[in-house]
Amino acid sequence: MVAVAQHPNITLYSYSEVERVTGYIGNFTVTIREKAKYVDHDDCTGCGLCETKCPEKVKSEFDLGLGIRPAIYKPFAQAVPNKPVIDAANCRKLINGKCGVCEKICPVKAIRYDDQDRVFQEEVGAIVMATGYDLFPWEEAYGEYGYGRYPDVISGLHFERMVNASGPTGGKIKRPSDGKIPQDVAFIKCVGSRDDTKGKSYCSRTCCMYTAKHASQVMEKIPDGQAYVFYMDVRTAGKGYEEFYLRSVDQGAQYIRGRVSKIYPRGDRLVIKSEDTLLGKPIEVEVDLVVLATAMVPSAGSAEIAKIVGFSVDKDGFYQEAHPKLQPMETFTAGVFLAGACQGPRDIPDTVAQASGAAVKVAALLNKSELATEPMVANVDQSKCTGCEFCVPVCPYQAISMIPKKERAHGQVVERQVAHINKGLCQGCGACVAACRPCALDLDGYTGDQIVAEVDALCL
Amino acid sequence: MKRIGVFVCGCGTNIASTVDVDRVAEVASVMPSVVFSTSYKYMCSDPGQEQIKKAAEEHNLNRVIVASCSPRMHENTFRKAMSGAGLNPYMFEMVNIREQVSWVHSNKDEATQKAIDLIRMAVAKVERNKPLQVTTIPVTKKALVIGGGIAGMQAAIDIAETGHQVILVERSTTIGGKMAQLDKTFPTMDCSA
Amino acid sequence: MSVEATKAWTPKIVAFACNWCSYAGADLAGSNRLQYPPNVRIIRVPCSGRIDPLFVLRAFKSGADGVLVSG
Repeated sequence: MVAVAQHPNITLYSYSEVERVTGYIGNFTVTIREKAKYVDHDDCTGCGLCETKCPEKVKSEFDLGLGIRPAIYKPFAQAVPNKPVIDAANCRKLINGKCGVCEKICPVKAIRYDDQDRVFQEEVGAIVMATGYDLFPWEEAYGEYGYGRYPDVISGLHFERMVNASGPTGGKIKRPSDGKIPQDVAFIKCVGSRDDTKGKSYCSRTCCMYTAKHASQVMEKIPDGQAYVFYMDVRTAGKGYEEFYLRSVDQGAQYIRGRVSKIYPRGDRLVIKSEDTLLGKPIEVEVDLVVLATAMVPSAGSAEIAKIVGFSVDKDGFYQEAHPKLQPMETFTAGVFLAGACQGPRDIPDTVAQASGAAVKVAALLNKSELATEPMVANVDQSKCTGCEFCVPVCPYQAISMIPKKERAHGQVVERQVAHINKGLCQGCGACVAACRPCALDLDGYTGDQIVAEVDALCL
Repeated sequence: MKRIGVFVCGCGTNIASTVDVDRVAEVASVMPSVVFSTSYKYMCSDPGQEQIKKAAEEHNLNRVIVASCSPRMHENTFRKAMSGAGLNPYMFEMVNIREQVSWVHSNKDEATQKAIDLIRMAVAKVERNKPLQVTTIPVTKKALVIGGGIAGMQAAIDIAETGHQVILVERSTTIGGKMAQLDKTFPTMDCSA
Repeated sequence: MSVEATKAWTPKIVAFACNWCSYAGADLAGSNRLQYPPNVRIIRVPCSGRIDPLFVLRAFKSGADGVLVSG
């Protein structure tokens, strides 16, 4: 992460979103909105004093609500950039003007309550989409797991925050309900994955492995602890993965093949009803904590940004690659590439490999001083053009403009306006051709003459 | 004089098992302006492309039709082969008899007839093709990466290392994405941040 | 009185498919080996915007029984 911030060739805009993309391969114009941070990052030294003195405390999104943060905050201690922003929705000063503690306490006077969003444009030649994933909202779909009513039924990412040494519990596995260390922990795989009725039909690929990791962490970190893993299949396709899974089994994690049908409380513990399909018997296990391996879904807002940049998504909302085998990091839009889980569920090694692949595609493009363009573009027969300008608003690429044309008529030189096509901007869609009433426009490669000939040949 | 060469691909058995490619080539040979037609196992292979070159020379072809897979797959391959044969790459039409014929139909007679009809259509079109010239546009030597998780960071660093400028846009206040939230990661159990 | 369907006759359908969506969709149908009747013939166009209404009329005039415009 620090390598990104320090690289001389990388300009990082955090707390920013892409609002508009125009242009085409090699020549995109991107409009970026940098949200108001209310802290001048040029002056701020990142000392963190403001964070300790801020009186407002809200649930930390980074810790998935397991911890709290102030209204002026960095999501975590090693954040990059390592400087805070003010969360305007929760800042007392910005809500009702009463407070201003951070401004008083800041030793370098970096607080700017009057900060505004900054909107600016950048010119780029290529775009890499790396918008990642979110977790499937299981609380809305799985009534048998309590619709999120039981605090001790958590997702794998909650578990990650807990076992993380810099997380809200300092690396201790604790029950969210009472803070007790759990003895028996159940893991349920394929929650939302491989479930056509309530979730997604696809396999999320990473859950088998991280569940093996979680189970082994339970066995390591909790003395006398026991991990139970409820699974449909164990899928460990990856270098060193099968060995890793077997290590968790050797450590004592108990794998039970079966779908959990119900979770319900008994005392302060949770009862899991399932079937052991290898024994062919219904079983019941009482545990202290349940961790769900939830499906990966495209990140919130990913469909909107796809529309802004201008490429398509698949049936599950993941970004559509140009070809699943031969062009996995390209889209159907030239100059737009894909990296990571925005294209489909994948783990870190695969993500890194795909990101490096996308980078090579970008480098190959940027290494060219100029690009060859498709010659199948519209052209104007200016002698036929009446200058009606019907084609101008029809063009989705703003490739048509009107230019003056001088010609002789009845012994005089007259000037009139005719359409002109910018061949760099024209993408050859032919919408203008269909709109042109005097038939002055035609599309090379798909001329009216050619298409009519095709129609006739077919209908013979 | 319009002189069209028609090349029908069997794609191993992908096409040949449902479409009678020899018969298609035979029927195509008597279509208007067609002076040469043949079928071959794999048109996209080097020997396949070599056939286009050879036939172009021997039969003085000035237009070529390849009936094989989707043009979305191999149109560029054959355009390059056209250039290699000394022909304008846009004096070429591709007929999709795999994705839109052999893979979606099972009756061999009907599939063969459809392939023939589609080639007749392409003959009518390619007769009216004009040589087109490729033009060039400049390239802005800068990349935009949207998203600052592990994927975006890796892509940004790798592009930056090739010497190009990169703009990395991240919507949250820090880069790192989901990965920064994780503890140790499998299978090596090293720290993720 | 019963009318027996003549098996000999099938409608001749001309489909105009956009290269970037419907044509790609037809390719995808192929990749997934989805079967459909062979009496549809696809004409590839760069965009459904290219389709002049005259093309549709021309198809009917030349003997098509149905025209599908998709994009």
